[in-house]
Amino acid sequence: MAEGHQHLSEEAYKSGVKAVWRATAILAVVTIVEVAAALYLGDTLGKAVLNLLFILMSGIKAFFIVAEFMHLRYEMRALIISILAPTFFFVWFIIAFMMDGASWGSLRALWN
Amino acid sequence: MSQETAVQQQKNVWDGGVSPFSVSYGKLMMWYFLVSDAFSFAALLITYAALRVSSPWWPNPNEVFSAFPGIHKPFPLGFVTLMTFILIMSSVFVVRAVQEGHRMNRKGVMFWMFLGIIGGAAFLGCQAFEWSHLISEGMTLFNNPFGPEGFVHAGHHSGGHEMPLGPRLFGCLFFTITGFHGFHVFTGVLINCIIFIQSARGVYDRRGHYEMVEKVGLYWHFVDLVWVFVFLAFYLL
Repeated sequence: MAEGHQHLSEEAYKSGVKAVWRATAILAVVTIVEVAAALYLGDTLGKAVLNLLFILMSGIKAFFIVAEFMHLRYEMRALIISILAPTFFFVWFIIAFMMDGASWGSLRALWN
Repeated sequence: MSQETAVQQQKNVWDGGVSPFSVSYGKLMMWYFLVSDAFSFAALLITYAALRVSSPWWPNPNEVFSAFPGIHKPFPLGFVTLMTFILIMSSVFVVRAVQEGHRMNRKGVMFWMFLGIIGGAAFLGCQAFEWSHLISEGMTLFNNPFGPEGFVHAGHHSGGHEMPLGPRLFGCLFFTITGFHGFHVFTGVLINCIIFIQSARGVYDRRGHYEMVEKVGLYWHFVDLVWVFVFLAFYLL
């Protein structure tokens, strides 16, 4: 993909099509497992384990959408890093704001 | 020696004249726009997380989202699973359009892009049903009928405790976040229509490449990506 839009060989086209349908099957299966777990495994696994499972499975879905559908895994490494590096801010944002939210909750409980 | 050559080459790549990431300017900027858009959605979803964590009680998604058109008993998460599949399939159709574009296959691009547009429109239709159903149940920006038992809705001060802020904002968060996402789907469908028309008119054949399909495809997949996290936050957790 040196030029970005050169014409593909027949083999490259076929393997690309195959990769996309494989990613589709994975996304479909993961979604079905998620919904089934939400409906039927709530009591067996407990909410904390279940939530961890949901977050992991959403990560898998996000990976296949970004890597295969958006074609990012086939781009240059420097480009991949420049796109993914800023998203690591989310890790701290999520920790910070959820801790803040927990603090609002306990303050409200204190005042009531 | 070989290392020196490599350093020399690396310097040349960043000297200008070539694309160091070997993608076009438009595609690179689409990627960076999507990174910034990811921060917009993250701000909304993290607000949802913070308010939800601050609240000792939260509506149960299996009870809130249990309507399915034509089925009169509760069918928890059924409709939203259908919506998820519609959006994933629409995304797949657009990937196929991009792949046909690499082969300069105008008919193929038009066929798959048409299916992608149908999928996007179907998703919007589903969302219209879901919204109107929830509104008919009394959910508004400032009201949440699924709130804790024994609490009155905001605005009614006679008897019972006023509903705490967190659960009261459930409807506000739902309509804002799915609305912002739905607006992205709406603009995505419009842009996909433009791509379809331009392909049909042979604009990309004359240009010699179908890269525009790829750039718009990136936006469309991003909409699907965001839905993964909206689905996680509202319907699963």
